Amino acid sequence: MKKSGLQKTPEAFFTLFCVGLAGLSLAFIGSLVAAPKLLFGRSLTAIPPSMFPMIVLGLLLVLSLALLVLHFRNPPEIDDGPNGLEGWRRGAVFFGIMTLYALTMVPLGFLISSAITTALLSWMIGNRVIWQIAILSLVAPILLYLAATRLLAVSLPELNAIELFVARFFNG
Amino acid sequence: MFDYFLEGFGMALRLDTFGMMALGLFGGMLVGALPGFTTLMAMAILLPISFFLDPIVGIPFLLGIYKGGIFGGSIPAILVSMPGTGAAVATSRDGYALTKKGKSRKALDMALFSSVFGDTMSDIFTILMIFPIALLVMQFGPPELFAVLLLSLVIIAATSGSNPLKALIMMLLGLWLSFVGTDPLGGVERFTFGIFDLKSGIPLLPMLIGVFAIPEVASVVMKNERTKQLASVLGERLSFKEFKASFRTICRSTVIGTGIGIIPGLGQVVAAMMGYSAAKNASSHPETFGEGELEGVAAAEAANNAVNGPTMVPLLTLGIPGDNVTAILLGAFVAQGLRPGPQLFEEQGATVFAILVAMVFANLMFLVIGYLSIPIFSRLVTIKVSILIPLVIMFAFAGAFVFRSDSVDLLMLVGFGIFGIVAKAAKFDVMPMVMGFILGPPMEYAFGQTVAMTNGEAVNFFLTERLGAMLVLIAAPVIGYLLWRRMQTVTVGGH
Repeated sequence: MKKSGLQKTPEAFFTLFCVGLAGLSLAFIGSLVAAPKLLFGRSLTAIPPSMFPMIVLGLLLVLSLALLVLHFRNPPEIDDGPNGLEGWRRGAVFFGIMTLYALTMVPLGFLISSAITTALLSWMIGNRVIWQIAILSLVAPILLYLAATRLLAVSLPELNAIELFVARFFNG
Repeated sequence: MFDYFLEGFGMALRLDTFGMMALGLFGGMLVGALPGFTTLMAMAILLPISFFLDPIVGIPFLLGIYKGGIFGGSIPAILVSMPGTGAAVATSRDGYALTKKGKSRKALDMALFSSVFGDTMSDIFTILMIFPIALLVMQFGPPELFAVLLLSLVIIAATSGSNPLKALIMMLLGLWLSFVGTDPLGGVERFTFGIFDLKSGIPLLPMLIGVFAIPEVASVVMKNERTKQLASVLGERLSFKEFKASFRTICRSTVIGTGIGIIPGLGQVVAAMMGYSAAKNASSHPETFGEGELEGVAAAEAANNAVNGPTMVPLLTLGIPGDNVTAILLGAFVAQGLRPGPQLFEEQGATVFAILVAMVFANLMFLVIGYLSIPIFSRLVTIKVSILIPLVIMFAFAGAFVFRSDSVDLLMLVGFGIFGIVAKAAKFDVMPMVMGFILGPPMEYAFGQTVAMTNGEAVNFFLTERLGAMLVLIAAPVIGYLLWRRMQTVTVGGH
């Protein structure tokens, strides 16, 4: 059943976010955009660096407010979506693991961080076969590491000890 | 000119040229198919190899990687909704929907056939028209470029979903994100919030993976779909009848891609989006686009591959690379002693035509290699969710890291992933945002140059010198409105 006014839906929050982003950016544009470079008192460019952003942010503010007004007049059904609260909780855990991966890849190296992350993700998704998790977390990162570093000649972050071992293994 | 063509045709018929092209095609497909890895990266890494080969061998080798990579980028786009390039974004909309319906093989076949058709036709067009087109392109200036970019964004916003207001908001959000870093005209810092890592701007690849692939993966996790596979089995192959039904769309997209390819700075992304939008608008059932429509895959793939040939026109005639990939090709040309420009056709005309003819042959080889290779890459879809998702995440993170070897990109990947899942829950389409982000810098650059050219007399300038650009600028909102009305009349209900 529809209620009047602004409903607490993801759409409303997202639109409010856009309004806030545009409004605050416009209000503090002087601090967010550096002054144009000058040569003998004249700007080096035909337009100041804040011109285009101001046009875009102004339009963003107007359109976001318009959407809010439409949302207020025709509020949608309140709907948590197919995920529900339990789904959002699982999503939070999932993104938590990904954040952990992002933060540990450089300090721990690609192999160790990937092993930890793939094992955690596989377990979280419901895999309870230990040997599958073990193979996935130990073999897959190694194969990808070798393919990237040997075939494509790109570098992945790795601990010095492991890099030295790989170099000695392949180069003798 | 015809003498150069005949001589070049003979020069292209070499076994080593065909061999290296085949290697490049397969390698490009392989790299493109790896979620998170890009054709650009493969070409950059393998560029030095081309230096040690004959120009007729080395440059077609790089072109093979280029062509293979474009199709290869469509494979993860279709199978796991992770576009390897910006050009595959439009493909992933219907391609992944088809995979979820168990028709991934049809989607991959359609992508291959329409890619080959679009590419071949545009290559032949390029060979025929390169001289007169070069004369026309020399007349294009910043006002025209800005007008076309604005038109592209308006069309995409008008045809993206049933709520153009939301699409416009996302597009403007994408434009704002493109401002982060340094401004393209003066090089001053904007919206970096004092963070050093933001001075070079937001990189494209983590954003692409973050907003397109991560939300799909996250959705599966959030719905706790343990037993359901992330992607269903291959399904039947594409029938001739199905291909024939999309032939008109493929031809239209080929024309669009060919036209877009000629203009520097637009590239495959714009072509794919415009081809897709045009097909959706012309369709008698546009509501099926985005829900698993083969025509959607055909339109995007034909358009983005049709760019390949004509994009060589500004590169060869003016030395202007249309995108990052052609910038690498420019490096290859220069290293081989072939300096692009008007004099190239006079001094090395036969070599130029040999390379263009080799491109046509590459498409024919592509058809065979691609058709035989699809089952290899499609093995990904038969893996359990609890195995596939960790693998996809690992590939995505590895690919995002190798892009710039910067750990901040990994945090951006996660950040955009969160943004993508929230936008999905809020029913905002992220594609206009990505388009705004990609086209923001060239649009602002062209805008700034245009203002400089007007010298304070904009109206007089446009009326007397840039009438064409002005007409396009005036037409853009009108076209957008008409397209939106068209979408409204055929959309049932809607949000």
